[in-house]
Amino acid sequence: MNTFVATSPEFNQAEYDRLAAQFRYVITDIICRAGSGHLGGALSLVEIVLTLYGRVMRVEPANPKWADRDRLVLSKGHAAPVLYAALAWKGFFPASWLPTMNADGTRLPSHADARTVPGIDMTTGSLGQGLSAACGIALAGRMNGKTYRTFCIIGDGESNEGQNWEAAMFAAHRKLDTLTAICDYNQLQIDGTTHEVLELEPLADKWRSFGWEVFEMNGHDWDDIHHTIQRAAQVKGRPGMIIAHTVKSKGHPLTENKPESHNIKVPNEAAYRKYMACFADSGVTAPY
Amino acid sequence: MAYHELEMRAVYGITLNELMDADPNVVCVEADLSKASGTNPEVAKKHPANFVNVGVAEANMISVGAGLAAEGKIPFCASFTCFASRRVYDQITISVAYANNNVKVVGTAPGITAGPNGGTHMCFQDLAIMRAMPNMHVYSPCDVYELRAVLRHMARSGKPTYMQLIRPKMPKLFDDGCAFDPERAVVLRPGTQVTLVSTGYMTPFALDAAKNLATAGVDVELLHYPSVKPFDAATLIASARKTGRVVTVENQNIIGGLGGAVCEVLCENHPVPVKRLGVPDRFGEVATEKYLFDKHGFGTPHIVDACRRMAGRCA
Repeated sequence: MNTFVATSPEFNQAEYDRLAAQFRYVITDIICRAGSGHLGGALSLVEIVLTLYGRVMRVEPANPKWADRDRLVLSKGHAAPVLYAALAWKGFFPASWLPTMNADGTRLPSHADARTVPGIDMTTGSLGQGLSAACGIALAGRMNGKTYRTFCIIGDGESNEGQNWEAAMFAAHRKLDTLTAICDYNQLQIDGTTHEVLELEPLADKWRSFGWEVFEMNGHDWDDIHHTIQRAAQVKGRPGMIIAHTVKSKGHPLTENKPESHNIKVPNEAAYRKYMACFADSGVTAPY
Repeated sequence: MAYHELEMRAVYGITLNELMDADPNVVCVEADLSKASGTNPEVAKKHPANFVNVGVAEANMISVGAGLAAEGKIPFCASFTCFASRRVYDQITISVAYANNNVKVVGTAPGITAGPNGGTHMCFQDLAIMRAMPNMHVYSPCDVYELRAVLRHMARSGKPTYMQLIRPKMPKLFDDGCAFDPERAVVLRPGTQVTLVSTGYMTPFALDAAKNLATAGVDVELLHYPSVKPFDAATLIASARKTGRVVTVENQNIIGGLGGAVCEVLCENHPVPVKRLGVPDRFGEVATEKYLFDKHGFGTPHIVDACRRMAGRCA
């Protein structure tokens, strides 16, 4: 039986590198098996999601609704494959579910679904709503006297949606300092670069001017990710925004940093082999 | 002041306070219209920790509500019907109904009761579009007692729900013991010749019409539907079997709302002639109620006329 790469209790970079490679294999494989899917925006988040579930978030896979767990809202719900990989790795559900993504009757739809997937805290897929929902989750935590942290991952293209900025004002006004948002700033959206389609810059200044404590990090550097998330968690009196500088489709040479990676089409066996070719010498295998 | 003399919105605020007294998980969420909804100062003062004003940001209001509901809160999110329904249709669809989050969306000043705010604010399609959404309950209570019963039900139902909230005083139709069951229509008057079906704001007008018709010898059975979804088909079908003629009236476009629900049920179960009264696929405008009733033909005299025609008493 195949399994996920084993990790030591203490962070070990070599292990996490292998695990990240395996995540990339899994994400690409399950998207290819489904025949199409959002590859680039899932691969850009591998190190961030792995760090959250491996080194930061308090969760109990055997008790996915544990009241004191940390929450994650994947507002860019189309990146669900990376979340599915992380949840299966943590043991929220069997790895055998992974290759069923998008199959008829699956519990793993293309977009993150809290109704069918243990460990998912909010159903997402219509861009712009997740940060608002994360505000509600953080606010409820305060009302309930809980100390859990709420994380929310938004996309850079998603940041075009005006509702994010409604939520930005709300979170600052309510001083939601248990809320940490992460923007996957890979600078590519469906129709081109974020600079061509709708300029986000000055992005850090925008969030700062909305009353957030803003951090920037290399979204593929283990130490930088871990340290930055820890620093953001210590902010008092205001929400934290981490702008994660990432590369879309990171680690997948055929599609890396290309807008077409947003949603790949895999119509046949030849295409499957083409997209999986980069893993031939990686030494990683599927955990299912 | 007697309870039935209160404005509907005052009863909304009073009832939310009662619900919060009983269950601290009930949360009042507003989008800068809390005075119009009747929750400010009523709820804002008594339960400030459970009062959340998001500002003029209805999309954020609905999705914040979804996040609150995901954590066991019972948020009542209110705005004018136009902003609480059509403006945030996708947020309600995905963050609430699809995600199955227990959010209560309250649309205030429904239909022509938006009055002086005119066409931009007159929403005639909220019942239709909310009814077309899976996993949504859709209610429109018609007096203070029924409103209170509906709100109590909403607080314990666990269901994503949309409710129309009429703001001003409404005629007393029920009493302190009023109960609400979303699966049951209310037979306000039994009758044999014509079935008249109404909901929300139009029910008192329908009742007046039924009384007038009785005087004129037309025996109308009046069915009031506080819940448009779920829709009590059995009561309608039984009534239509008896009368063979149905008139519907609603403070909405005649497309897709109460009249639409009635036609769907009857077409599939017991086809009989139906006349739908309401706004005949037009936008609203700044005008008095009488002007709008006369223009679109759904005030008391028009209901009377439609029932008489249906009963065969007129040409």
